[in-house]
Amino acid sequence: MNVIINKPIPDKFADGVKGLFEKEDCLFAVVGDLNLKGRYAQSVAVFTADKLVVFDECYENSSITVLYSDIENAEVKRFYGNAVFKVKLKNGKKKMLLRFSYASAEVADAAAVFVNALNNGENLTQELETVKSVYHKQRCFCPKCGRKLPNPEAECINCASKGKLVSKFGKYVIPEKFSLIVCMVLSVIVTALSLIPPYITKIMVDDVIPAKDSLMLVKVLGVLLGVYILQYVITGIRSYKLRLAGDRITLNLKKDIYEKAQYLSLNFYDKISTGSVINRVNSDANVIQAFIMKVTQEAIVQGFTLVGLIVIMFGMSWKLALFSLIPVPIVAVAGRLFGKIIGPKYMRLWRRSASISTVLANSIPGVRVIKAFTNEKQTIKKFTRYCDEWYKEDKKVAVPAAVFPSLITFLVTCGSIVVWFLGGQMVIGGSDEISLGLLVSFVSYASMFYTPINFFANMSDTYQNTLASAEKILDIIDAEPEHNFGEGNIPERIKGKIEFKNVNFAFDRSKKVLSNINLTIEPGDIVGIVGTTGSGKSTLINLLMRYYDDYDGEILIDGENIKNVDMKYYRDSIGYVQQEPLMFRDTIFNNIAFGSGKVHVEQVIHAAEVANAHGFISKLPDAYDTMLGERGVGLSGGERQRVSIARAVLKNPSILVFDEATAAVDSETEHLIQGAIERLISGRTTLMIAHRLSTLRKANKIVVVDKGEIIECGTPEELLKQKGKYYKLVEIQSMGEQLQKRKAEENFE
Amino acid sequence: MPRYIEGSEVRITENDKVFVDVEFYTGEKFTELELHRMFPITGLDKYISLLDSQGNEIAVIRNINDLMPESKAVVESCLKEYYMMPRITRFIRMSEKFKIWMWTAETDKGVCTFEIRNHLTAIKPLYDGRVLIKDANDNRYEIPDYNKLDKKSLKMILPKL
Repeated sequence: MNVIINKPIPDKFADGVKGLFEKEDCLFAVVGDLNLKGRYAQSVAVFTADKLVVFDECYENSSITVLYSDIENAEVKRFYGNAVFKVKLKNGKKKMLLRFSYASAEVADAAAVFVNALNNGENLTQELETVKSVYHKQRCFCPKCGRKLPNPEAECINCASKGKLVSKFGKYVIPEKFSLIVCMVLSVIVTALSLIPPYITKIMVDDVIPAKDSLMLVKVLGVLLGVYILQYVITGIRSYKLRLAGDRITLNLKKDIYEKAQYLSLNFYDKISTGSVINRVNSDANVIQAFIMKVTQEAIVQGFTLVGLIVIMFGMSWKLALFSLIPVPIVAVAGRLFGKIIGPKYMRLWRRSASISTVLANSIPGVRVIKAFTNEKQTIKKFTRYCDEWYKEDKKVAVPAAVFPSLITFLVTCGSIVVWFLGGQMVIGGSDEISLGLLVSFVSYASMFYTPINFFANMSDTYQNTLASAEKILDIIDAEPEHNFGEGNIPERIKGKIEFKNVNFAFDRSKKVLSNINLTIEPGDIVGIVGTTGSGKSTLINLLMRYYDDYDGEILIDGENIKNVDMKYYRDSIGYVQQEPLMFRDTIFNNIAFGSGKVHVEQVIHAAEVANAHGFISKLPDAYDTMLGERGVGLSGGERQRVSIARAVLKNPSILVFDEATAAVDSETEHLIQGAIERLISGRTTLMIAHRLSTLRKANKIVVVDKGEIIECGTPEELLKQKGKYYKLVEIQSMGEQLQKRKAEENFE
Repeated sequence: MPRYIEGSEVRITENDKVFVDVEFYTGEKFTELELHRMFPITGLDKYISLLDSQGNEIAVIRNINDLMPESKAVVESCLKEYYMMPRITRFIRMSEKFKIWMWTAETDKGVCTFEIRNHLTAIKPLYDGRVLIKDANDNRYEIPDYNKLDKKSLKMILPKL
């Protein structure tokens, strides 16, 4: 028996449910996670062809059976943080049958649609298929990592790019391998050279000075000078090469993060702050670069120094060398402990720092609004509060970060005291093993020996800091990008037939934004989409633009699912004019040519002419070269709108979308924009969202959206005859317009 | 301006667990109204909007503590039914696999397990020690004061705040 379930059947009702499965022809079950009283508990609703049986501890005998024939209507009512499956019975009573968190809301939705459809005489097999597809989507997870997949065949991005941090960031190091190897060789030479001076000290103390040989002293010092010159020249060359290699690594990393950020879906940006993304591109990339340099250069050099010193020190005196090693395990253990303490603190510090970036990203672009509402003080106060929070957290990091290196240095100093004490005793006692020069030289080597130890001990601090940044960067790099399933599938020409088939959509599970949208738009149709604010008009367009892919049902273009058409080609075929057109800090010319690649000047002028923008642009002192401020500062709302229409004209799209293009402008400008739109739409499929119905006079089809559903659809004449919502809207607006006209006439008189 | 309900000018009776019937002293009656908190995070008892089946606001209760005791009890019970934001009293377990964290917590509504995919966006600490959590399924949870959590729970949650 193949009963579809969304979760394993809970143990508590396993016997009852399995018994039911055996007795009845069960089709599917919704497993909930709350009882009817709203406490976490197990519950199940099993659906057959003619009834549903609900198991919940709150029922007498733990279950209840309801026949579909007794149900007038079934629905899922979403509350705050939970939802219920409720039915209205034919006897007028309402009954809450099953309660669950949002985790089961989608399957319960499908169940409600199923029950209502069967009661309306729909075909059982067909309805069951719809239910199956919802369940299937619910279980469309990557078997390896559990990440939700857009469809069962999709490759899991997380697993495809799976690998250790090293391999993920390693790709930025590989192009620089030649420079890094050269730098490493130079470092090794510098390190080897740095081992010479203590040996020269030994020669001077033991041989040259006691022999009072001045000539020899000059020769030895000459060698020392030569060693120093060589050491610092090579260090200079190495630093230069290393800096360039490091810059290139950061550059590539930043480019990749930015590039990835461009292709992330709007779902990602709905949930994350801009400041946090800016922080990742700017600071975190630098942290990673610093760490990469540290690992590829210093760690290797310090490792080499360590080995070299151990060999030299053991060669000089194995006894003293052993004593020098005493602090090493203590330093290693302390380093590990330190990492554990400071790691979480760095994560918290990162969050505070990202919050500051978010405040900046929010307030600086809004400086005009802040000034207009004289809110400077409050804004400063808010920023100060965030900075204080950061400082509070940084203080917590500062304590271990400052104490640990000091502790290590103290241990190291203790080590050198031990060496002085033991070595001094040996020299005083006249031991053959060690001379004064050798002791002085050994102490120099010993102090050098602790530098790499110190370095590796502090590595854990840097590593923890880097780990926090790496995690944030991977958040973007590993985030699911917009899926271009139809890459390369470029139809010859888009004619412009658009079909919405059973489309349901929710931004999150707490509220459905679009329900059961079915709509067919023929090529060349001019469709007006009307409805109150928040009714779902813009969401409809967002889905058509493929900003969100996570919807149920299908959207077809010329009979093909839009998900299967090459995304770039598809979006290029749509000219989208928004209510508040976004301008970039660039010239008017570049703003019009945005997204159209290389275009001829005359094409841009023509587009501006069609959009009724050429007139005002040519009157500007710098005309098409006028530099706009951020978000189009320097142009009025209506002018910006006309520039954005020119942008759409230049694309020569097959489909045009206007999202309340004339909502924020005066009547005269509206007239100009309207003229531009009418010139533009001829022969193209056009979707126009409009509040002012007067802007829809060219529309041959009107779609009325209300609470996420299409409630009316037809020609304007048909809808007026229906005397429904559209009729009411027309009546209200024409009354308003008449009133306005009359007032204007009165004033004129 | 919304029609504010100050206190005794209405009688509120239960209709269907989350719905109420409202009768004004003027005789106006409204049935099957839904209660919506206008400040579900910051003001649980204040500014409760009463919406009809079309989503139109009929009135706003300024403060439920000013209502008549029977009406207050009905409103409280309906809000309790409607709003579910379990209060986490302690964390029992946390495990991570491929960047998906499974948290098991004890709440005032019982023990639950929820999934978090990105702590940065899912967990929002407030200044008074409260922490709001939204899981991968958009369910909400609340830690009333993270400083009051036991040592083990604190150790688990602190790095994520």
